[in-house]
Amino acid sequence: MSERGASFRLDGVSVTFGETAALREVNLEIKPGEAVGFVGPSGSGKTTLLRLLNGAVRPTSGTVEVNGEALTSLSPRQLRSLRSRVATVHQDLSLVPNLRVMRNVLLGRLGRLSLLSTFRLLFLPPRSEVLRVHKILERVGIGEKLYQRTDQLSGGQRQRVAIARALYQEPSALLPDEPISSLDPARSRDTMGLLIELSRETGITLCVSLHDLEVAREFVPRLIGLRRGKVAFDRLTEELTSEDFRELYDLAEDEMLDGV
Amino acid sequence: MAFSSRGLVLLTLGAAGLWAAFELRLDPRDLVPSDGGMVMARELFSRAWSPALAYEAADVPAGTRPLLLKALEAARLTVVFAAAAISLSLVCGGILGFFASTAWWVGDQTGGAKVGWSRHGVRPVVYGVARLIIALMRSVHELLWAVLLLAAFGLSQLSAVIAIAIPYSGTFAKVFSEMLDEAPRDSAVALRSAGASSSQIFLFGLLPRALPDMSAYAFYRFECALRSSAILGFFGYPTLGYYIAASFENLYYGEVWTYLYTLVLLVVVADWWSGALRRRLVLA
Repeated sequence: MSERGASFRLDGVSVTFGETAALREVNLEIKPGEAVGFVGPSGSGKTTLLRLLNGAVRPTSGTVEVNGEALTSLSPRQLRSLRSRVATVHQDLSLVPNLRVMRNVLLGRLGRLSLLSTFRLLFLPPRSEVLRVHKILERVGIGEKLYQRTDQLSGGQRQRVAIARALYQEPSALLPDEPISSLDPARSRDTMGLLIELSRETGITLCVSLHDLEVAREFVPRLIGLRRGKVAFDRLTEELTSEDFRELYDLAEDEMLDGV
Repeated sequence: MAFSSRGLVLLTLGAAGLWAAFELRLDPRDLVPSDGGMVMARELFSRAWSPALAYEAADVPAGTRPLLLKALEAARLTVVFAAAAISLSLVCGGILGFFASTAWWVGDQTGGAKVGWSRHGVRPVVYGVARLIIALMRSVHELLWAVLLLAAFGLSQLSAVIAIAIPYSGTFAKVFSEMLDEAPRDSAVALRSAGASSSQIFLFGLLPRALPDMSAYAFYRFECALRSSAILGFFGYPTLGYYIAASFENLYYGEVWTYLYTLVLLVVVADWWSGALRRRLVLA
């Protein structure tokens, strides 16, 4: 791929888990290098949407294309390779707590290594790789934590380790799922600022799910509102009105009452 | 009258205990020793505060190693037998435990689609056989294995090591497989979404989550192996148990305490050492 950023295209995508429809008839186009935010109440389908983009969830109907290639047409090997290029940052971070920060970051590269080279990378990492990891950690602001055990870090620092691990994958897209849900307001802004900067600097496509509307409006140029698995709006943030947002959440309250 | 299920369990346990006591004719009066027994017990326990520092026998042949050195040497051999047995058990138990863990054999680590040949009937067979072998190894105590192996191979060092290693391997396999199955799966999921293969996910996403528990357990089993190895001395192996039995039979109660205290010291030191290691355990 010559372009640094990945492009995504969803065509009439629905996802159902058993009886429940998580996404319904979603059409979406995300251009290379774009920064997009998915907003909406919990259960609206934000996480499912992110997982679709990474090939972790298959659409029940419709097609998902990454860089113009339909995910369903990929072989397991190609899917592995795709996953290694579309980096997820899970909401629970999913770091290995008893490993040093450096090794957690190194684990990001697994998708492109054989078992033997994985051992070599983890236990005898070449100097060049250690330097690269260090550089990435510096970029996300925790360079000095290279050799610390991950479980000794604060929540905000762990968040950065997870981002560093994703960056070490050399991804063409970064998919953080609720990256600021467990951070205080100041650190939330730091983290969001970092993600937006990273995507601008490197041309990586950024798709981030957020529940904090204020932060989303402040940082993300394009917002996609999800409600009950449907796209409620898909517009540039500056064109969005408070009305749009109110609708997104007011309706959700109605739905909650319905559900009782 | 309605019993809660917990009440029913407690009642059943109580009834079972009473029935067993009745069946065995357990009588507290049996704890009152006979006159001869009383004398012996008093003699034995009176030496608890004054363990022997030299041989109690009147005529020790010239050139015999001093008692304390002999105790140390017995302690050393106890450690050597235990170490050999634990090393062997770790290898065998690790391999068996891998095959007996559902994390690897049933579905894949992230609960997603099953992969490759494991889908086609091989998996349940391997898993079932591993579980069966583990049950067989564990159901026979190391002392019984020792009796069997002694009868078969005579008093060889190897049969002692194997006698301990068989049940210990089974226990390791069982406990390790459960620890692997119970390890948090989140990092496994993350590695999968980064494109890792099943073996990479198992080795680098799942195993590291279980390793601290697994090593702590291995240290604990090493302490158990020390006791087992000492007891194997009763069969004639030169570990602490051998000398404890010999001195006891010769009525050298002071020496019995010397060897007993050596064993206690050994276990305490092993406990302290494993505790220190566990605290420092940073996965390289």
